Amino acid sequence: MSDQTIGLSDVVIGKPASRRTGNTLLKCAYGATFIIVVAMVTIPIAALIYGSFRTAAPGMPAEWTLRNYEGLASPGVIATIGTTLWIGLLSSALCIVIGTAIALLVHRTDFKYGKVVTMLVGLAFYFPSFILAMAWIIIGAPGGIFNAVVDDMLGLSWLRIDIYTTMGIVLVMVLHQVPFVYLTMRGPIMGMDGIYEEAARTAGATPSRVITRITLPLLSYSLISSFILTFIITIEQFAIPALIGIPGQVNMLATQLYLLVRFSPTDYGLAAAIGVALSAMTGAAIWAQRRVSSAGRLTTVTGKASRLKPIPLGRWKWLAYILCFGFGFLALILPMTILIYTSVLKWFTANPFDGLYTIRNYAYIIESASTIRSFWNTLLVSGVGAAAGVLLGLMCAYFTLRLQPRGYRILDFFVSLPFGVPGIVLGLGLLWAYAYLPLPLYGTLALMIIAFVTRFLPYATETIGGQMVQIDKSLEEAAWVNGATPLEGVSKILLPLVRPSVQGAYFLLFMAFFREISSAILLYTASTAVVSISIWSFFEQANWGLASALSVVATLIIFVAMGLISRLVPAARQG
Amino acid sequence: MSITVENLVKRYGAMTVVHGISFEVGRGEFVSLLGPSGCGKTTTLRCIAGLEDAAGGIIRIGDRIVSAPDQDILIPPHERQVGMVFQSYAIWPHMTVGENVGFPLSIRKVSAADVAKQVDEALGIVGLGPFKDRHPSQLSGGQQQRVALARAIVGRPKVLLFDEPLSNLDAKLREGTRVEIKRLQRKLDVAAVYVTHDQEEALSMSDRVIVMDGGRIEQAGTPKELYRSPVNRFVADFVGRASFIDVVRVEGGAGWRTPSGALIDVDDSSFNGAGTYQAMLRPEGIDIMEDANAGKPGRSLPGTISDSHYLGAYTEYVVDAGGAKVKVHSKRDFDVGSPVMLRFSPENCRLVSSPAGTGK
Repeated sequence: MSDQTIGLSDVVIGKPASRRTGNTLLKCAYGATFIIVVAMVTIPIAALIYGSFRTAAPGMPAEWTLRNYEGLASPGVIATIGTTLWIGLLSSALCIVIGTAIALLVHRTDFKYGKVVTMLVGLAFYFPSFILAMAWIIIGAPGGIFNAVVDDMLGLSWLRIDIYTTMGIVLVMVLHQVPFVYLTMRGPIMGMDGIYEEAARTAGATPSRVITRITLPLLSYSLISSFILTFIITIEQFAIPALIGIPGQVNMLATQLYLLVRFSPTDYGLAAAIGVALSAMTGAAIWAQRRVSSAGRLTTVTGKASRLKPIPLGRWKWLAYILCFGFGFLALILPMTILIYTSVLKWFTANPFDGLYTIRNYAYIIESASTIRSFWNTLLVSGVGAAAGVLLGLMCAYFTLRLQPRGYRILDFFVSLPFGVPGIVLGLGLLWAYAYLPLPLYGTLALMIIAFVTRFLPYATETIGGQMVQIDKSLEEAAWVNGATPLEGVSKILLPLVRPSVQGAYFLLFMAFFREISSAILLYTASTAVVSISIWSFFEQANWGLASALSVVATLIIFVAMGLISRLVPAARQG
Repeated sequence: MSITVENLVKRYGAMTVVHGISFEVGRGEFVSLLGPSGCGKTTTLRCIAGLEDAAGGIIRIGDRIVSAPDQDILIPPHERQVGMVFQSYAIWPHMTVGENVGFPLSIRKVSAADVAKQVDEALGIVGLGPFKDRHPSQLSGGQQQRVALARAIVGRPKVLLFDEPLSNLDAKLREGTRVEIKRLQRKLDVAAVYVTHDQEEALSMSDRVIVMDGGRIEQAGTPKELYRSPVNRFVADFVGRASFIDVVRVEGGAGWRTPSGALIDVDDSSFNGAGTYQAMLRPEGIDIMEDANAGKPGRSLPGTISDSHYLGAYTEYVVDAGGAKVKVHSKRDFDVGSPVMLRFSPENCRLVSSPAGTGK
């Protein structure tokens, strides 16, 4: 016994040399991570702020000025801010009600088709916003399918709708963001210890009063947090207000910024100031959300497996069916059907019996060099970009949560900063920055990757970090005590243990990059167009058939990839 | 009010977890359901509370049928007027102590003044009067426990149900709270069902104890009956400490002998013919004699001390005797390995039925 102990300590004594080289390596990695993250985040933001004080477009001779900020107070911009807030608050409120109702129905009642609904909502979550918006334009535009059916065929002209309105934007926003609310509320609802509700039942409360007096109050912090997050993603949403709002002249801040940069008379300075204002709004909202969620830690959600008796729906069953399947129909099945229908039509018509059918749109996708190139670009950006993002996210999580070397708080701050910067604002910031930087990045896929990684880095860090904090530090320390260097501790203990979240983060980023449009819309050139941009361009050229065909293909790729990966990596679902 | 359970059956999917059990709890009576985890005791309690739907049988609270699935009667929990204390207390974190305790009243539309009065009274009974406006997070485990108690009694429930309420408390607090619970139940004079896996708790608090295993009742009786006259090896083993020696009946029924052939005097009043049996010895009912020849025939077994655990008040010795490991409590000191003689009287050596094939 004693012999062995001496032997072991010999081994440990023999190690310092390699431990030192391991430390040097880690130090270099920390330095590199720090510099890359800080540069990636500060350059576009600094450039944006710089631009907001300049009189001319990036790269042009200009002077310092405050007139861009004065422009924020102009009646036009004030009205836009009002519209943005109104759409943001209304959509978020509706999303919270619908998303929470679906989550409660699926996880707390005897609703029979919970699995089907969960799947529908999951698919809807990954259904790209610009494709959803396009489908709803085909349905709800003045010359769209709905009006053709109710007015031209049935003669019910009072039922006519116009999607190009504020309410049209709200409708599509809600359909797009209910899955987000469902996914953020599902955890707290399932993790809530059922004993609180049981205690209320035995204390004499009816099932519906348990919901209002116990369940919802206990969920209040999660509800407020989810509401704020939904508000943030609503006001920074670009594709939906751009596709629906621009034709209807309903402007949100994100679309006004886009119009100022893309269409003459351009005003890059005012656009930058709007970008700063929008970021300030999202930043403030994030600050509020953090406050709420840290205050909410007090409530004891034990996560203990509870075997709650499902609440019987009784005569409310039909309402539950209408809500859940109605949502699935409007958010996924109807738009998908319309897109497939539009994609096989020679000329658009609302009456399927009048249609001349063709597969030329799909043939064009394969024949056209430009669409094929956009597919390759997308795969490259998503595949390589997600790998880069996950690697960076893993480093950040390790340094800020584990090693915590000097300055790790600064790193932590910069990593979370992109949460507050809407995609289109980031794109504008990069546009400003790379007009001045002596780097040949403008018009390359690399710039696209940088934009996407910057925007979604917090997702990777949060996903991986979430699992890393749950792994006790003593597991690594035990490895050190037994003779492993810090680097070996990471590679042999920590990495294998966080592998599920790393895979989940890769999946999350891949999907996000595949669908991303808001930060790419100001950065693409003909040779760097990605699929989302190609679809967008075809739709802008009023080529509904081709845009639909490409959307169908892209959506199928997303759904197939999602199915494959969630089967291969069960943990990815949590991402 | 009394509780009557008749042929209660509970299934989860294809798995039956309670196999048609029946028992009664009279008004003012305190009955424990005792058994290992997974024996169906908590499920039974939850069926009484209405938190689980029974699959068969009838449950009555007082004269009212609250569960009879065959007649399509399943009264929801909020109409059963029970008071229940949960294992993890279930104090609602978003309400103050006063709001927690007042909930059963306010949910039944009692006027605010009456709620305040009764809450003060209930908190006074459990000694938490000054804590009315505190939040649960500011309370210790023992205090939360007492809030749960106050909440269970405030609505003047017809019956009290306890689901392992003391298992999260430390040993000292547990003893005090036992007395407290017993006192409250006496005062309210209601039927109480108490679920526990702690035999000491069950023996010390209950008027009657029901020992369960595998969804069936093994034995029901007063604490003394269970300890002194267990009907089978499971009950003997679960209630108190015990050792078991294999015995077979001598041809002609003239006594019992161990596998090694030694005759022993056994209290075989529980013998009913069929099955295999063992002799049960309680560790405090055996004397250890240093002199290996000091035994009386039939009332002693020779053995060797194989292990000892010093426990302060006494030492528990494990003695190899009669082909079994026999546990003996003694205040005297012996060395491991020394030969001894175990002495016992027939009333401390009881025949229990034992499922075939169970070991020593």
